[in-house]
Amino acid sequence: MEHLFTNIAQILTSWMVSLGLPPIWADLILLIGQWTIIVVIVTLNVIVLVWLERKISGFIQERLGPNRLGPFGAFQTIADAMKLLTKEDIIPSQADRWIFMTAPMLFIVIAVMLYAVLPLGQGMEVVDLNVGLFYFISLGSLSTICLLMAGWGSNNKWSLLGAMRSVAQMISYEIPLAFSLLGVVMLAGSLNLSEIVTAQNRYWFILLQPVAFLTYFIAATAELNRGPFDMPEAEQELTAGAYTEYTGMRWALFFLAEYTNLVAVSALAATLFFGGGQGPWLPSWLWIIIKTYLIMLVFMWMKWTFPRIRMDHLMSFSWKVLIPVSLANILITGLGIEFFRGMGW
Amino acid sequence: MIGKGLLKGLGITLKHGVEKPKTIQYPEQRPYLQERFRGCLEFDYKNCIVCGMCTKACPNNVLSFETAPIEGSKKKRLVSYTIDLQYCMFCNLCVEACPTNTLFFVHDFELSTYRRDEIKKVYIPPALTQVDAGGGQAELIPQDALEPDREAEAEAKRLKQLQAMKTALSKGGQKVLAKYVDTEEDAAVLANLLQADEKKRDKMAALIVDDKEKARKVAQAFVAKERKTQAGGEEK
Repeated sequence: MEHLFTNIAQILTSWMVSLGLPPIWADLILLIGQWTIIVVIVTLNVIVLVWLERKISGFIQERLGPNRLGPFGAFQTIADAMKLLTKEDIIPSQADRWIFMTAPMLFIVIAVMLYAVLPLGQGMEVVDLNVGLFYFISLGSLSTICLLMAGWGSNNKWSLLGAMRSVAQMISYEIPLAFSLLGVVMLAGSLNLSEIVTAQNRYWFILLQPVAFLTYFIAATAELNRGPFDMPEAEQELTAGAYTEYTGMRWALFFLAEYTNLVAVSALAATLFFGGGQGPWLPSWLWIIIKTYLIMLVFMWMKWTFPRIRMDHLMSFSWKVLIPVSLANILITGLGIEFFRGMGW
Repeated sequence: MIGKGLLKGLGITLKHGVEKPKTIQYPEQRPYLQERFRGCLEFDYKNCIVCGMCTKACPNNVLSFETAPIEGSKKKRLVSYTIDLQYCMFCNLCVEACPTNTLFFVHDFELSTYRRDEIKKVYIPPALTQVDAGGGQAELIPQDALEPDREAEAEAKRLKQLQAMKTALSKGGQKVLAKYVDTEEDAAVLANLLQADEKKRDKMAALIVDDKEKARKVAQAFVAKERKTQAGGEEK
């Protein structure tokens, strides 16, 4: 079971080579295949996640959540997706047409590109990049541009203001996010995600880097625009900030990308702090799914527990608390590494 | 400790998250109603003494009624009683004012109607007849109280017949059964069968009382089946 998917990939490659294809072409076709599978799974997974989120919010508020369509309301999200797909596609007449149209597409493309380096099991990353973590963080910060594009392209001052708020928040939290990951990188001595997983053979990094995990988790919540940091969207107060002018499928693409980002960030947390695919009895790809889902459940649990915090509190929390703490964490990690190295470990 | 409040909040939502949802899925599940729940306002004309206290108590003019004088008496009789429920605010004042518990709330709370006049409830008591209550006093009682209940009587008669038929069949009753089958022999077979099987006996008795045509058909079917099984038994 452990090597189920890697074996399938190998068999497919050797079959294509035996058909007379040059190996590089076989690899390319396999890559495209892997990519398509990841995109499809991630997109379909959003349907499950939306259902899960609504169920969890229901249970926390002692309601039932969706329960009419299908078993336990499982088909509710499919119906919602159908509705969004068939809605009229409205582009405001004064909008900057091209920017308005490309923003959601770019957003989802960037969100899906994050999965290229994530090891979804032992030897199951699409690209085994030696600067995988760097790639992940840099792509993650690109999504702010899409938000700004959406706000600007809408040609609506409130959309633009919403976008500026989102961008301010996301850029502020990018810094502690990157800093908190540095501790892990220093311990593992590599930016390659599968090597970081291997470095956790003895201890999971959550034990060695609890502060880093905490700062990462908080910063990631803000990066994802999730509650209690969901100021950019703030359903109950603002009309969805930068997304105000979007309808139907274009709006759904933003929604899709946010959930896709949620999965990616949770999978990264599982990879960096919880030993990735490592675990007893079950195959590695199942372990990473279980860990990712558990972390996502905590994200949802937090969203439906904490009230939204104020914008200035949000900013000062990032600059005055998270950044100093994560910097101190880097310092202490460095000192610790040198200390133990001096001890001859 | 920093973050203690956050953990406490997470604990609270976790606790509520595993609790059973409070939702009642109306209309599949019905809410539990307390005994004194104020649903629809109902009126029972039998107890009404036409005192008019209810109309005086009502702040919204929901209640109204028409009366007619009774000959040779100071009392009035009720012609019709109207509850215009659309104005009712379920304040309970009329129920408190009523000296004979004629007005009361029931648990029915699904009061919406398609038309405005459908929500107005008009009670018309059945026509009353004057009878001599003895001692020169006249009393009014509903007309149908004087007339015997024909339906109930018919039902009682039927039950009596049915009981008689059942007893007859359990003791044999070949003569009765002979009317429903072709030969004396068949009647004997049927009588034996019915004596043995109580279910079939009851069915047959009910059919003989209610529907003679059908009883004939069923009786013949019983005989045919019984003959067949007997023949089958002999062959074996």
